[in-house]
Amino acid sequence: MKNIVIGRYVPGKGFLYTLDPRTKIIALLLLMAGTFIIDELIHMVVAIAMIGIILLIGKISIRRVYLGLRPLLFLLIFTFAFQILFNTQGELLYEMPLYYSPLTIGLVALVVVTWMLTKKYIRFKLIYFLIMVALSLFIFSTLNEPFVFGQGAFTVYEDALQMALFIMLRLIIIVTLSTILTITTKPTDLNLGLESVLKPLKIVRVNTEEIAMIISIALRYIPTLLDEANKIMLAQASRGVDFQEGKLKEKVMQIVSLLVPMFIISFKRSDELANAMEARSFVPGQPRTRLHQLVWKTLDTLVIIFAIGFLFGSIYIRVMV
Amino acid sequence: METIIEIKDLTFGYSSDQEVLKNINLSINKGEWITILGHNGSGKSTLSKLLIGLLKARNGTIRVDGLLLDENTVYDIRKKIGIVFQNPDNQFVGVTVRDDIAFGLENLQIEREEMIERIDSFSKKVDMFEYLNKEPQQLSGGQKQRVAIAGILAMETDVIIFDEATSMLDPKGRRKIMEYMRKLNEEGTTIITITHDMKEAVESDRIVVLKDGKILKTDTSTNVLNDKATLEQSNLELLLPLELLYYLNENHVDRKELKDYLWQLSLSE
Ligand SMILES: Nc1ncnc2c1ncn2[C@@H]1O[C@H](COP(=O)(O)OP(=O)(O)O)[C@@H](O)[C@H]1O
Ligand SMILES: [Mg+2]
Repeated sequence: MKNIVIGRYVPGKGFLYTLDPRTKIIALLLLMAGTFIIDELIHMVVAIAMIGIILLIGKISIRRVYLGLRPLLFLLIFTFAFQILFNTQGELLYEMPLYYSPLTIGLVALVVVTWMLTKKYIRFKLIYFLIMVALSLFIFSTLNEPFVFGQGAFTVYEDALQMALFIMLRLIIIVTLSTILTITTKPTDLNLGLESVLKPLKIVRVNTEEIAMIISIALRYIPTLLDEANKIMLAQASRGVDFQEGKLKEKVMQIVSLLVPMFIISFKRSDELANAMEARSFVPGQPRTRLHQLVWKTLDTLVIIFAIGFLFGSIYIRVMV
Repeated sequence: METIIEIKDLTFGYSSDQEVLKNINLSINKGEWITILGHNGSGKSTLSKLLIGLLKARNGTIRVDGLLLDENTVYDIRKKIGIVFQNPDNQFVGVTVRDDIAFGLENLQIEREEMIERIDSFSKKVDMFEYLNKEPQQLSGGQKQRVAIAGILAMETDVIIFDEATSMLDPKGRRKIMEYMRKLNEEGTTIITITHDMKEAVESDRIVVLKDGKILKTDTSTNVLNDKATLEQSNLELLLPLELLYYLNENHVDRKELKDYLWQLSLSE
């Protein structure tokens, strides 16, 4: 339940807060598209610098963005490792011979065991892990005596590096931009903006208002349901169900003991809510006026022009240069 | 006196082999405060849902302000009757107090400026103006019910039904809601209080006693509360003062006997 905090609206001031949610959503899409078109490292660096400037002007705390990025670290490392191991296109940049002998394998096994035993005491697990990987590679490449029975090579190719780097940078940019959007926009405004941006889908008979209503009711009831889940867990705990411990089978039973009452309560709730909504003259599909209205300002136009400029700039550079 | 709601020979069942309401006849006057008093499962909520067309009657007719309830008039009739339901959490539609009061107004397609005015004035009326930006998780049950009342007041309905609206509240929250009922009634709103608690029935003009889907008695509150036979039949919990009243009516008691009887009553509570 803690990770719900990531990317949640944080009240604040700054131009990003005064922008229309539609502007932010559209600009986000345009900028993302731009970063997918860019294929030169320097241009990517320019794009990142630009986003950095947006963060600075918008007074967004870097820590919040980092919190949004942290769940991605594993994915980033995985991509990197995958590219280095399997992508052998382009120029060979680096080659390191690896010697397999009882001594090196034994030492590396020792490293792995040490890592497994000590990792829970280390604060910066990721750095620790990388150091251990480097140490293993070092052992394999330097101890070439005695009884070597096999030899391999650790190689790094240009394309692998470049691909890994680009995937990483794009992911970082996408997540940073989305984090900016969600922490500077109230969920209700975000919903209103989405409804408005999705309006063209009406042509293909998607009922965007209904989708928006569903999202807004979900937003309204998520905290209530979490509250309820907590109460049920407490009630079950008082009957001896332990939600912290247990083997897989017990875990499954615990989850069932939580889900069944949650499901029944939610069903009753939605029935009563539907009645209350209809009693207040809600008719699905009928036009409604809105209390919250989005106001388009000059700044919004400027931001959109900038985002379109960014996209076309990336296309131009990709095609012409 | 002008009639606002006229129910004739109303019969309803959720399934064909069951009758939850049997041959209900009732007319409610404009500006009246009426209580529908009945035990759990006597059909009170079913009746309120029939009144605004959330359920369809098997037999009989309902007229609201002269309009006969059917598929064509149901939306107009819903504009005339508002319901405050029992569970404060399951009728709070908006993400904030402001949004929730706005919900009904948005459905009625009220202009935005008008909406803002009504939200301000009606939230003040139930003392929730300072809470307009609060989310339901930050409010007590009583406060949520007051928001529900404001949401209905803002829609300017002629009739407000309170369907056990105080049963999930603490005594303080309950008293406050009762105060609003009285105030609204004094200002001319027709109030229908639905309850199984006689205490809530005392203040209203008339009481309808419902038992197993049938009307046992309809009369002024004083007459109903004095009618020991009917109330004892109704499966309702008698109020302590009423039991005392009946005792005093039936017996000529001296001080000592009265004291003993009071002890007995208080111990049986
Ligand atoms: N949705 C439903 N489906 C079937 N039976 C119902 C439903 N709602 C209520 N009932 C039954 O109808 C009767 C009257 O219920 P209700 O009107 O809720 O009573 P009250 O509000 O007086 O407590 C009860 O016996 C109840 O079990
Ligand atoms: Mg009921």
